[in-house]
Amino acid sequence: MRKVDKIPKIRTKPFPHVVVRDFLDTATLDLVIDALAGLEYDFKESDLFSYWASVELTDINHPAINILRDDLGDKSWRDKVSKSFNVKNLSSIDMAAYVYGLGDFLLPHDDQVEGRIIAYSLHLTPEITGEMGGALNVFESDSEGKSKLTDSIIPEYNSLIMFEVSDNSWHEVSEILMDIQRLTVTGWFHD
Amino acid sequence: MTEMNFYYLEKPTLLNLKRIFSSGDIPFIRLSKFLESLSKYSEPKLNRQEKIGYYKRKEGNAILEEFWSSSQFIKFLNDSTGLKPKLRSATHISYSAGDYSLLHTEEDESERLVVAYDFTESWKQEWGGYDLYTSPDKDPLICNRDPGSLMIVKLITGDLSCTRYVSQKATSAARLDRAVYDLS
Repeated sequence: MRKVDKIPKIRTKPFPHVVVRDFLDTATLDLVIDALAGLEYDFKESDLFSYWASVELTDINHPAINILRDDLGDKSWRDKVSKSFNVKNLSSIDMAAYVYGLGDFLLPHDDQVEGRIIAYSLHLTPEITGEMGGALNVFESDSEGKSKLTDSIIPEYNSLIMFEVSDNSWHEVSEILMDIQRLTVTGWFHD
Repeated sequence: MTEMNFYYLEKPTLLNLKRIFSSGDIPFIRLSKFLESLSKYSEPKLNRQEKIGYYKRKEGNAILEEFWSSSQFIKFLNDSTGLKPKLRSATHISYSAGDYSLLHTEEDESERLVVAYDFTESWKQEWGGYDLYTSPDKDPLICNRDPGSLMIVKLITGDLSCTRYVSQKATSAARLDRAVYDLS
């Protein structure tokens, strides 16, 4: 079950984003991680990224995944998210699990695809540190496309990062520099 | 004086290159040890160029700027590809740790001949930084860094190319002169 009930104040720069710490209770967290460990992951690679991805988790009927899907996307949480970000009502979420290993990365992009309103990422790697890589870097960009790193968010265990998808929502997952497995459940809230 | 490897100027070689060039899904030839000699050159002044979500790299004047427009090299391109290229641009590009270019940077490009000479000094494959050429419904062409080699590739509208993200662990830069020719 969700451990938190409130969403902290949204940071507005360079675009609206927030980190919700201690998102799940310990029992749920353990069940979810066990369930994710039992999934198959396919290696995906393009000019933009390199990582391992699970199937779409909205299609899976598994007790722990079902709980997670509710915790991330039930109406009560969706309403809190839309109110915090001051966006229109959110009707649904999608979700998949991703594993980044040594050398994997996701280069800067803005996430814009029709229907995506809020992006989220629940981080499930214990004891991750900045030196290991895998930070969620957020950028400010000028009109010519020159970027400035404005925040480097270490994906702390059991933290949920959310941000509003827009023309300005430039972000990346920095290269993994050590032999770790950076596990996340990631997706979007849709209109 | 910059001189091409004599081997690549021999008639049987040129005929063979033309045959190889015409046979690929994506027409290309790659020539190792392309230059017999290289004129003494000063390092070009490089400027940081970035368009987030498209590319991040350094660019400057091509080291072999005159060579890429020389009648000798244009004739070589004509003999080895059967095409009639006209130089559009020549640039020296450097990709160091964290740099990249993405395929969609070239979305608006039309038919062209791309020539890339590899000035990289030392490189480990795991650092990435390779050149990638793609064409719809065809296998992509991957060119790992190979100091001293020349890549010639014909791309048509819809074909794209990029340079793979360079790992933060890279201790040197992937460097190339990249000349683009229009085809008439």
